[in-house]
Amino acid sequence: MTALTAARPVPSTAQQWWVLTTRLIAPTLRNGEVAVGVAVSVAATASFYIPLNRLMNGPDLQMSSYAQYLMPLITLQAISFASISTAFRAATDTVQGINRRFQALPMASLTPLAARISASVYRCAIGLTVALACGYVIGFRFHRGPFYIVAFCLLVLLTGLALAFMCDAIGTNSRNPAATAQWLLLPQLIFGYLSVGIQPVHRFPEWIQPIVRNQPISQIVYALHAFAGDSAPGTAPVTWSVVGPALIWVVGVIALTLPWAIVVYRRRS
Amino acid sequence: MVVLVGAAVDAEAHSENSLPHLLSQTLVLARRLLIRWVRNPLAIVHALLLPVAFLLTLKLVFADSITSITGENALYRSVPLVALVAGMAGSSVGVVGITAEHLDGFLARLWALPIHRVAGLLSRLAAETIRLLGTTLVILGAGVILGFRFHRGAAAALLWVAVPVIFGVAFSALVTTAILYWRRALLVEAMQPVVILGATFCTGFVPLEQYPGWVQPLVRDQPMSSAVDAMRGLSVGGPVLWPMISALVWSAAIFAACLWPIMVGYRRASTSR
Repeated sequence: MTALTAARPVPSTAQQWWVLTTRLIAPTLRNGEVAVGVAVSVAATASFYIPLNRLMNGPDLQMSSYAQYLMPLITLQAISFASISTAFRAATDTVQGINRRFQALPMASLTPLAARISASVYRCAIGLTVALACGYVIGFRFHRGPFYIVAFCLLVLLTGLALAFMCDAIGTNSRNPAATAQWLLLPQLIFGYLSVGIQPVHRFPEWIQPIVRNQPISQIVYALHAFAGDSAPGTAPVTWSVVGPALIWVVGVIALTLPWAIVVYRRRS
Repeated sequence: MVVLVGAAVDAEAHSENSLPHLLSQTLVLARRLLIRWVRNPLAIVHALLLPVAFLLTLKLVFADSITSITGENALYRSVPLVALVAGMAGSSVGVVGITAEHLDGFLARLWALPIHRVAGLLSRLAAETIRLLGTTLVILGAGVILGFRFHRGAAAALLWVAVPVIFGVAFSALVTTAILYWRRALLVEAMQPVVILGATFCTGFVPLEQYPGWVQPLVRDQPMSSAVDAMRGLSVGGPVLWPMISALVWSAAIFAACLWPIMVGYRRASTSR
C-alpha cells in the first residue's frame, strides 16, 4: 500500500540532460566517431593547403602566408562536418522511435533535443582542436593574445551551434539517416570555395563578387581573420564593422533555426 | 493439388542455375533499384544537381588561375574530375540500400526465392553502371554548355564516357565491400575524407607542378589522376595510352580484390540477421 502512495520521484532536468548527453558522447571513442572526426579535420587541412598553397599564394593576399589566410576556412569546414552529422543522429533517433519513447517519460520535452545539440558542440570542439593543431603544423599562429583566441574559438563554436540547430531540424524532418548524411560533402565544398576564405574577393569574376563577399561564410571568415591577426601589417583590426556582420549572421541563423528545430521536433515526436 | 503440382513443374522449368533466367531476373531487379533511385528526389539532387553546381564552382574559383598557368582551358581537367567525384558521391546510395535491405529483411527474402544466386549482386552492378552512365552524361552536358569540346573524334568521346563508369564501378565495389564487413551507417561519413582527399590530390584539381615535390608521385599515380589524365588526352589531346592503362589496371585490381569478399559478405548479409 505504501508503494502506491509513495511520493513520485522529482527528476532533475539537468541530470536527465546529462544522462542523455553521455548516451551520445560515451560511445564515440569506441564506435569510430571520434576517429572519423579527427580524420575529417586532418583531411580538410591537407586538402585545402597542400594543393592550393602554390597556386593561391601571392602578395595580394595581404597576409604573411597562405596558411594564415586559409585557417578560418579550415576550422569552419571541420566544424561544419561535425555539426552536420547532427542531422544524421536526429534522423536516427526519429526512425528508431526513441524520441517517441522519451516523450512518454517524465521529463521536459526538449531535453533530448538539448542533449543532441550538446553532443554536437562536443564534436565541434574536437573538430576545432584538431583543425587548430593542424593549422599550427602548416604555419598558422594567433597574434592577438588570449582574449582574441577565445573569441576566435567562440565564434567558430557558435557557428557550429547554428548549423547544429538547422541540421537537427532537417534530420528530424527527413527521417532518413543515410539521405541526410549525403548532404555532407558537396554543399560544404561549394560554400567553402565560393567564399573569401579561399582567395581574396577581387580574384573572383566580377559579377559574382557581391555574392561571395556577403555570403555568411565570408563574413565569418573576415571576423576570424581579424581575431587571429597576422605578423604582417595589413589585417583588419577587430572592430564592430568587421566582427558585427558575422555575429549578426550567426545570431540571426540561430534565432531562426532554434524555433524551427523545436517545432519540427515537437511535431515529429 | 493441381496448383501445387503446377507450381512444382514450373519451378522445375525455372532452374535456379538457368542462365537465360538469370538475365531476366537481373533486369527485373536492376529496374527495381533504378526506379527506387529515380523516385527519390533527394538522391537525384545529390547525384546530378550538386555535382553540376560543384563544376560551376570550380570554374568560378580556379579556372582563371589554372588556365593562365597551363594555357589550356581548365574545363578539360575539371569536367573529368567532377564526373569521377559525382560517381563516387552517388555510390553512397547503393551502400545505404544494402544496409537498409539487410535490416528490413529484403535480402533474406530474395535469398529464399527460386532465383539465381548471382541475380541480386548482378542487378546491383547493372543498376550502378546505368546510374554512373547517366551521371557522367549529365555532367558532360553541363561541361559542353560551359565550353568543353571533344577534339579527338567520336571514338575518343565514347572512351571518355566509359572511363568514369569503369572507375565508378570499381569504387562502388570498394564501398560495398566496406559496408558488408563494417555495417555502420557511419561509413557514409567516413567516405567523405576519402573522396575529398582523392579529389583534391588529383591532377584534375590543379596541375601536377603545383603540388609540393614530396607529394607529386602520390598525386601522379593515384587512380583518379590516371583517369583524369586519360580523359584529358581523349578530349583535348595529349598522352592517352599510359594513363589509360594505369586507370584500367587500378580499376580492375580494385574490382578483382573486392569480388570474392563481396560474394561472401552478400551471402552472409542475406542469410543472417
